[in-house]
Amino acid sequence: MSRLDHALYEIHHMDMLADRDQWLNRIHPLVKLIISAAYIAVTVSFHKYNFTGLLRMGIYPIVLFILGDISFTDALKRLRIVLPLVCFVGLFNPFFDRKPALEIGAFVVTAGMISMATLMLKGIYSVLAAYLLIASTSIEKICSAMRMLHIPAILVTQVLLTYRYISVLLEEAGRITEAYSLRAPKQKGVHFKVWGSLAGQLLLRSMDRADNVYESMTLRGYRGEFYYGGKTALCTKDTAYLIVWILLFILLKMI
Amino acid sequence: MSHIHINLEHVNYSYDASHPVLKDITFTAHEHEAVGLIGANGVGKSTLLKLLVGLNLNYEGSIRVEDIPVEKNTLPVIREKIGYVFQDSDSQLFLSTVKDDVAFAPRNYGLSEDEVSKRVNHALESIHIEHLKNRQIYKLSGGEKKMVSIATILSMTPDIILMDEPSIALDPGNRRRLIHILNEFDHLKIIASHDLDMILDTCNRVILMSKGQIIRDGKVREILSDKDLLEKHGLELPFCMQGSPYS
Repeated sequence: MSRLDHALYEIHHMDMLADRDQWLNRIHPLVKLIISAAYIAVTVSFHKYNFTGLLRMGIYPIVLFILGDISFTDALKRLRIVLPLVCFVGLFNPFFDRKPALEIGAFVVTAGMISMATLMLKGIYSVLAAYLLIASTSIEKICSAMRMLHIPAILVTQVLLTYRYISVLLEEAGRITEAYSLRAPKQKGVHFKVWGSLAGQLLLRSMDRADNVYESMTLRGYRGEFYYGGKTALCTKDTAYLIVWILLFILLKMI
Repeated sequence: MSHIHINLEHVNYSYDASHPVLKDITFTAHEHEAVGLIGANGVGKSTLLKLLVGLNLNYEGSIRVEDIPVEKNTLPVIREKIGYVFQDSDSQLFLSTVKDDVAFAPRNYGLSEDEVSKRVNHALESIHIEHLKNRQIYKLSGGEKKMVSIATILSMTPDIILMDEPSIALDPGNRRRLIHILNEFDHLKIIASHDLDMILDTCNRVILMSKGQIIRDGKVREILSDKDLLEKHGLELPFCMQGSPYS
């Protein structure tokens, strides 16, 4: 499987995860969106030296991985490019903040090391929370929740169509590179001399495809506002789920 | 004239002034008619279908759908009456699951979720693909995608169905299913295709086009059995009329 095909497979796999009939998937998308946003807000609000306090916030992703029956190792594999980048953010803290914070035997742990670890953990938790949201909620449901929060329709539609457009772009890119590799069997990758024309072809073709998709939407009554359907009212289970998590976040922040 | 009809009078259309695509197109199609639009590549069949649903608007002449002129301000009404099935199903299906895609049009027309659900079930049942309801679109085969594309327009309960090369890329089994399903529909249908055997099986009237003009408009058997006429305009007799080369 080529890398482009693999990327497409991963997108489809995420769609499939989100579409399963699991307990977590059935929770109202608005509730899941609010909880995810609240979790990220509480997580990033921890003091930069409060590493132990932040560790306790790990309960949320752990519980969600279990509730949603989502594979942790698959998540790590999918996030293998993003997580190192997130971790990179705090890498220089130990060089700027050399104040000793504690000693473990002969090893002196500086405040910079603690703030680096805290920053990395905040990044990891935030990325995991976002992953858990999209692994348990389809993009259409997330967008419907955004509309319930009165986020402007034009922005929400942009989110939805950008997500859908990634597949269109990858499919076209896959076709072009397949056609290229079949006529350039001895080359590894695409020769730099044709990068320009291939990129141009990709742009034109994907614009054509996007045009066709848009025509299909307008022919079926689309007038700038997506209607997502699904349940709009919260049930007791949704409300209880929301209250329990919000109270827990407040508790974890305060202790 | 019956309530459901399409009427074109002296329609001309070009993408740029020096290359006219459609020239003086005039015809009327009535309720329950199944019209096959045939012709070689590039004669303007797809362009003509797109004009009927207002995807191209700067035409000359008159196009009326159920007496409503096809203009920018009438498009929402026109498009509620016409279901258009694209040649490429991947362009038609853009949501993640079958049920969401089939529900897209009814939701856009502001129907309640109960009514949307009924429409989705009815559309899928009418072409016998209820079992695909919860499937992911990307997991469907080419034939299944074509059937779902048809369901997406049936959920709009259109009066008129337009299809652009519906049998292209279908295997013989799926093509046969498509023919059965088309014959079950009582709508006014206009089907653009090179598959003359399918046209023979599904249509009662044929419009032959060449170089942007209508060459002949008549009964399906009359036109599709005219070998000289078809060959003159880049087509051949349907396979079923050619006889076996081994006999």
